[in-house]
Amino acid sequence: MSQPILQMLGINKSFSGVRVLRDVDFDLQEGEVHAVVGENGAGKSTLMKIAAGIHHRDSGQIIWKGEPVEITSPHESLRLGISMVHQELTLAQHLSVAENLYLGREPLRQKQLGIIHRGSLFQRATELLAENHFGIDPRATVLRLPIAQRQLVEIARALAADSEVIIMDEPTSSLSAREAGEFFRVVRRLKAKGVSIIYISHRLEELHEVADRITILRDGQKVITAPFASMKMTEIIRHMVGRELSAMFPEKEAQVGSAGVPPASNLGEEILRVENLSRAGVLHDISFSLRAGEILGVAGLVGAGRTELARALFGLDRIDSGKVIVFGREVQPTSPSRAIATGMAYLTEDRKVTGLALGLDISANVTLANLKRLVSFGRINLREERKVGRQYVARLRIVTPSVRQKVLRLSGGNQQKVAIAKWLFAQSNVIVFDEPTRGIDIAAKRDVFDLFVELTRMGAGILMISSELPEILGMSDRILVMRRGMIVGELDPRRTDQEEILRLAALGAERAA
Amino acid sequence: MPERKKTEFLRTSYEKFLPFVSLVVLAIVLSAFSKHFFTWQNISSIIRQHAQIIVMAIGMTFIIASGGIDLSIGSGMALAGICGTVLMTMGVPIVWSVMVGCVGGFVCGAINGLLISCLRISPFIGTLGTMQVFRGLVLVVTRGLPVDVGIPRSFGNLRNGNLFGVIPIPLVLILVIAVVGSLTLRYTRLGRYCYAIGSNVEAARHSGIRVAKYLVLIYAVGGFLTGLAGMIEFSSLVSGQPTAGVGYELRVIAAVVIGGGSLMGGEGTVSGTIVGALLMALILNGCTLLGISDFVQQIVMGALIVLAVTFDQLRRRRLGGDGL
Repeated sequence: MSQPILQMLGINKSFSGVRVLRDVDFDLQEGEVHAVVGENGAGKSTLMKIAAGIHHRDSGQIIWKGEPVEITSPHESLRLGISMVHQELTLAQHLSVAENLYLGREPLRQKQLGIIHRGSLFQRATELLAENHFGIDPRATVLRLPIAQRQLVEIARALAADSEVIIMDEPTSSLSAREAGEFFRVVRRLKAKGVSIIYISHRLEELHEVADRITILRDGQKVITAPFASMKMTEIIRHMVGRELSAMFPEKEAQVGSAGVPPASNLGEEILRVENLSRAGVLHDISFSLRAGEILGVAGLVGAGRTELARALFGLDRIDSGKVIVFGREVQPTSPSRAIATGMAYLTEDRKVTGLALGLDISANVTLANLKRLVSFGRINLREERKVGRQYVARLRIVTPSVRQKVLRLSGGNQQKVAIAKWLFAQSNVIVFDEPTRGIDIAAKRDVFDLFVELTRMGAGILMISSELPEILGMSDRILVMRRGMIVGELDPRRTDQEEILRLAALGAERAA
Repeated sequence: MPERKKTEFLRTSYEKFLPFVSLVVLAIVLSAFSKHFFTWQNISSIIRQHAQIIVMAIGMTFIIASGGIDLSIGSGMALAGICGTVLMTMGVPIVWSVMVGCVGGFVCGAINGLLISCLRISPFIGTLGTMQVFRGLVLVVTRGLPVDVGIPRSFGNLRNGNLFGVIPIPLVLILVIAVVGSLTLRYTRLGRYCYAIGSNVEAARHSGIRVAKYLVLIYAVGGFLTGLAGMIEFSSLVSGQPTAGVGYELRVIAAVVIGGGSLMGGEGTVSGTIVGALLMALILNGCTLLGISDFVQQIVMGALIVLAVTFDQLRRRRLGGDGL
């Protein structure tokens, strides 16, 4: 094997006395895509942040093209030729694409006064974007670009800095299947140009698209580095969690019966019916029903109107026509407080933006949607509230030193559990889960799915919006496929597969047939 | 883990008590410099002088905890106070007039709340506007002249009077408001929703909290206390001054921020605010006792505000950078 471009040897790192990396070795060959995987908290982001100069190692060595180097700041790392594309995008949203690409390195017309050579700036940006087939207008304001394109701008920025190593942290987490496909083409083109890529991802199933080698971390230690092709998926998962996962999805009692029995027989009464729901330009003539104990999967590409449907049902967006019937009674979805009063709940796709009050503690977040349960004579019973918090921490296996911990300090999976606990405490029966497993690790996913089954046993109905097709297939009793604001198909998960769902979602009913 | 928890506990309690410790240290230093400082008379006079600021700051704690700000309170205080004093000149009993003053402040606050929640104007801009409007109204109503003809002398007791001959009435008011305010923030839905809205307004809305309603209520509560502050202010001279309260908004906001309130919302306590207000009061008092001029005092005040916000920023940066 040739000289690696980047080597990290015996890296150790602690945060406030907690060891997060223990003697980790890592190497990156020129022009390879090296996947780094591990559960949340395994230390993969920390390792990469050390390479990117964001954190500083406690001990160990970093070797760049055969020379030992000190990487003390992101600036230093960038100067060597290492760029990191972060999970939370770090672009100046109000500036144009071109301005972002050369931010801090603007071509100058006059050096002393710092007058920017705009012509040259835009010309260079145009060339760079065209050369890499990014198809983005360099004059567009970043704010107006879809997420997928912003991601590409981040990568273009790394290229503009002549980086030889690009670290990508969960690059596809907010992309639809089609956008992700486009993204993998970009990654392969970069590889062909000799750029070395470190690829951190939760989505194991997508790694085969790009990865040459894989390094698996667990609890701050390296488990294995191997050629990707030599590893089976089950093997990777076993290395990540340190134990065999019996199954990704829990067994649902309703599905135990033979295939001949219609699944409906085990379900309860209808608890939600939507008739001809429309919202101009967004939702068209949506009709479906949901029964107690049922999980109704909603599949579709990003922009198909799934989140918009959830928002309309929950009273966040006005509907133009149609009926929403909850427990046999027609309701007017005009505000979330009304929706909650009828027994509905909506776990939003972005817990940090719309789900959690990050500055408040676990208990306060759990009780937020149903605080009146704890109020008597206008006074919140704080002791009772903490007790409730502790109950849910135990029941959902939330990892935290105390219920007084600010939610800000929890890991993604634990934050998601808190967001779910809020709706459990609200005693909702019609629950919309929008991308319930986004950005959480495998063990936490399994916990979340177990919880779904428990909820359905208690008589709740779940509308599960997800872009993870295995999840839709594994959990749903029925699957609705949406495309361009319409429902284009209803499928039985036992008689369909990922391909059929994707065909419907991408092409619609007529052309897919 | 326990090690980490412990240092974190020490750190947070250190931060929590820093303003309080500064207050105690300052008091000790001042009593060393001036025998006059630690007398009941001086302390009562500090309380009387700063009562209106403290009362408004308790209201501002709610507003800042909810992620908002109210720049109009200086003008609102004058407007509400003028309403009350004008009634007194017409022979309305003092108690009723004071109540009308408070209600006047409540209405001013509710107007701010409506602008912010229903018209979705940013609190900073919205209250910057009403600050001018309220001041203009005061000047129109009074034609720029003090309101003092026919106000009973006993109105002065609101600020200058004593309970049982020794306890300043403003101190009694402050204690009552502080206790009620503190319990409200901690034990009621209004208080909890302040923090929730301030921490993440979208999460609050998605949790079914009627954000608009609570915002109006929060600003109205702040306004109510502003109205009371106006009555206390005007009772000192037993007259309504149309130019009263100019610049008070900055002192009030500073008190909340020094006391641990965050301008980003989600944080702030009544006890912290009171400590913050007292800290400023003592510094001003100390300057006076040491013979430092009013002009220099302004510089000291400004520097203190910058210092407090710097501390807040440092803490925030550390919290953000910490963790995995």
